[in-house]
Amino acid sequence: MEVLIMGCGRTGRALATRFAAEGDQVTVIDVDDAAGKRLPAGFGGRFLPGNGITPGVLRAAGIAHAEAFVALTANDSANIVAARVARDIFRVPRILARLHDPTRAPVYSEFGIATVGSVQTTVNRVMQLLHHQTLEPHQTFGNGETLLVRSKVPDYLAGRQVADLNVPGEIGVVELSRAGHSRIPEQSTPLESGDVLSFIVAAGSLGRLRSFLGGKWS
Amino acid sequence: MRIIVIGGAGLAEQVAGALQRAGEEVTVVDIEPGREAALAKAGLRAVPGDAVVPSTLEAAGALRADVLVACTRYDEDNLVISLLAKKHFNVPRVIASVNDPSNEELFDESFGIDAVVSPTTALVSLIRQAT
Repeated sequence: MEVLIMGCGRTGRALATRFAAEGDQVTVIDVDDAAGKRLPAGFGGRFLPGNGITPGVLRAAGIAHAEAFVALTANDSANIVAARVARDIFRVPRILARLHDPTRAPVYSEFGIATVGSVQTTVNRVMQLLHHQTLEPHQTFGNGETLLVRSKVPDYLAGRQVADLNVPGEIGVVELSRAGHSRIPEQSTPLESGDVLSFIVAAGSLGRLRSFLGGKWS
Repeated sequence: MRIIVIGGAGLAEQVAGALQRAGEEVTVVDIEPGREAALAKAGLRAVPGDAVVPSTLEAAGALRADVLVACTRYDEDNLVISLLAKKHFNVPRVIASVNDPSNEELFDESFGIDAVVSPTTALVSLIRQAT
């Protein structure tokens, strides 16, 4: 795969090194000429100085045949602009942009660019590890905004219905395992002691789910 | 007309001042703190903050503005601000200035821009016409 990475900071370097090690053809661009010198010795890719929002720089970096473009600079505006240029002018099939400021994410998603939120991902992960240890996720989605968690039904919830645990927009029961069989429960399904439930839950509602399940602070 | 001008001391403030003297209702968004007093003295409403953040543009009145002028020193910010103004706030007329002429081809309707000003290109073409 031919990959073009904009931004040769810690993340850019680590990602470029990884792609190169897996046999992909990598080009890294950065406004700072000196940034290229910090790439590891024996790096199998290419470095080019220049601003990744400038079409001429992208052309020189070979964007015309790139299969993926990743914008990883510390500047959110530059990442968004470069990602749109890569998509609209150069028709790069796969594009990702890093976004540091989480308050900008909802609006920028209107622009149709997939973003990776380093701040949001770190905050969600730290909260999960320090605060919600009892609910280890099986899967996280997006930047950790929603998670799939599984938990045993505590005895005191036996006899309640699935509907009692559903909170629109926050917590949804998506699966029930009972006596080794898995099924998708209905709202009216009564819970039994020993059932294991799968929940889809918003990161901000993990505390609420934990209190439903009577989990203790770790 | 209600006009929002984005940028700092220099181009943005001078444009804002000239429009205000011409009788327009002008708001300036400046990322540098502490400019409010100087702007108020010139009869301009000042909103401090980073205009790439949607809430700043909203505070500046982007939902009711007739014209928005993005003339910060950074092309990527001018492009993002223009895009926000057009796509998110539906500002009828968006004008942006280009700092680096090699970025000029980006300043078009795909970033929500109705009119573009490039001081470098304008100067060069004036010089060429004169010689």
